[in-house]
Amino acid sequence: MNTAIHLSTPLAEEAMRKLRVNDVVTLSGTVYTARDMAHLKLREMQEKGERLPENFGGSVVFHAGPVARKTDKTYSILAIGPTTSIRMEPHSDFVGGRLGVKAIVGKGGLGDGSLKAFQQYGMVYLLAAPGCGVLHAEAVKAVQRVHWLEEMGMPEAIWVLEVSNWGPLIVGMDSHGDSIFHKIREEGLKKLEALVKG
Amino acid sequence: MERLGKQYADAFYENLVRGVTSVSPDILGMMEKAIAREEAPAAKGMLETLIKNATLAKERKKGVCQSPGIPCIYVRVGREMAGIDVVKITGKAIVQATQEGYLRPSIVHPLTRKNTGNNSGPGIPNFEIELEPELEYLETIVSFKGCGPEMFNAFKTFSPESLGKTLEGFKRFVLEKVIDAGGKPCPPIGLGIGIGGQMDGAAKLSRRAISTRRWDDRNPDPEMDRMEQELLAKINQLGIGPGGVGGKTTALAVKIGMAYTHTAICPVAVNFHCWVGRRAGFKFYKDGKVEEIL
Repeated sequence: MNTAIHLSTPLAEEAMRKLRVNDVVTLSGTVYTARDMAHLKLREMQEKGERLPENFGGSVVFHAGPVARKTDKTYSILAIGPTTSIRMEPHSDFVGGRLGVKAIVGKGGLGDGSLKAFQQYGMVYLLAAPGCGVLHAEAVKAVQRVHWLEEMGMPEAIWVLEVSNWGPLIVGMDSHGDSIFHKIREEGLKKLEALVKG
Repeated sequence: MERLGKQYADAFYENLVRGVTSVSPDILGMMEKAIAREEAPAAKGMLETLIKNATLAKERKKGVCQSPGIPCIYVRVGREMAGIDVVKITGKAIVQATQEGYLRPSIVHPLTRKNTGNNSGPGIPNFEIELEPELEYLETIVSFKGCGPEMFNAFKTFSPESLGKTLEGFKRFVLEKVIDAGGKPCPPIGLGIGIGGQMDGAAKLSRRAISTRRWDDRNPDPEMDRMEQELLAKINQLGIGPGGVGGKTTALAVKIGMAYTHTAICPVAVNFHCWVGRRAGFKFYKDGKVEEIL
């Protein structure tokens, strides 16, 4: 694997534009978890002109919902890992254009609309190893806050996490229109008919 | 029966915890072998990371993956053990395991999306209970089926014509679904295929095949075995690879469940399973003896 590039939040657009697919990164700083319900609510609040619970400029959004346990003052993360990102595909333009998020971490990749948004706003998609609840939890040093836990439940809440040297994460989609997911899909489709007939 | 019920409850809980904190040894063994076949460093590295996580989870007795998916329970029971309230006992155990941090509360109302907070709810766990009057034990398999993969499950009713003379219609359907799913269902995947019956029957067969069989077993039906091997080899030429980073290990297993069907139709269901094969099976005897089977 390539030597890891270390990133710290807040992320600058210039640094994101330097990243290319297959680069390997590690990440330190603040990460916001957000799944389907959090995206829907953030968009609704934004449309109504309401104040959002966080400033997401230069931030990292992690498509994930943890197993968290309440401690005296805060929470500890027992397990956390990426959820299937494609469900969040309709939100990429909002996430990049309105929220100013610079990196999305998840699994399985995003679609054409996201690839366009990444080019426009200078963002990257980082692939986290799927099904690795223990490994990713090791990188979480603290839970800073949680939003909408009561309302949405543990997986769908926004967890504000402090991570340190999180990774390796693989750049799966970059700001230059490249995507390992799109490329693999195209190559698979090219082989399809020969495999069906063979 | 009450004492026996208590013993069964203890055995079930122990197996449930074993199931969620480890990946089935047959699956792990296949992943270890796959490392040697991979050439790309990214694919090798991904497989090593997945195995490392599974090893750590087992050592520390923590959930391998944060998402428990939907718990599914497969039961075979005979006349003598039918008095044990399996539905109640297993449902309670899942709530307890949630409270103890082994399972994330992930079950919601399908429309309001309200989380029940403890993985309970109508239809949860998903049971398949078979009564076999002469069986002298109670067999239970608990499987935690991740729902990233569930998003890509598919169903199609073929006609004799659309199946194709060399079954090319059927094969195209399966391979297209795997390409569409790409890296999203957490490859290396296990693919369950249900063939025959009606819609619900094919769907159940597809889930059961990939959830309850060892991934390194072979289908006793030679025709189905050939199809499993052929599809597995073809899927692994698609290049999706572990974690979707590219490579030769897209699927570890293809398992087919088959039932006869009507002369007009051929229902086919495709069921994706992530690499995190979290499951445990055991036989429980009336003297309280517990025998692990999966």
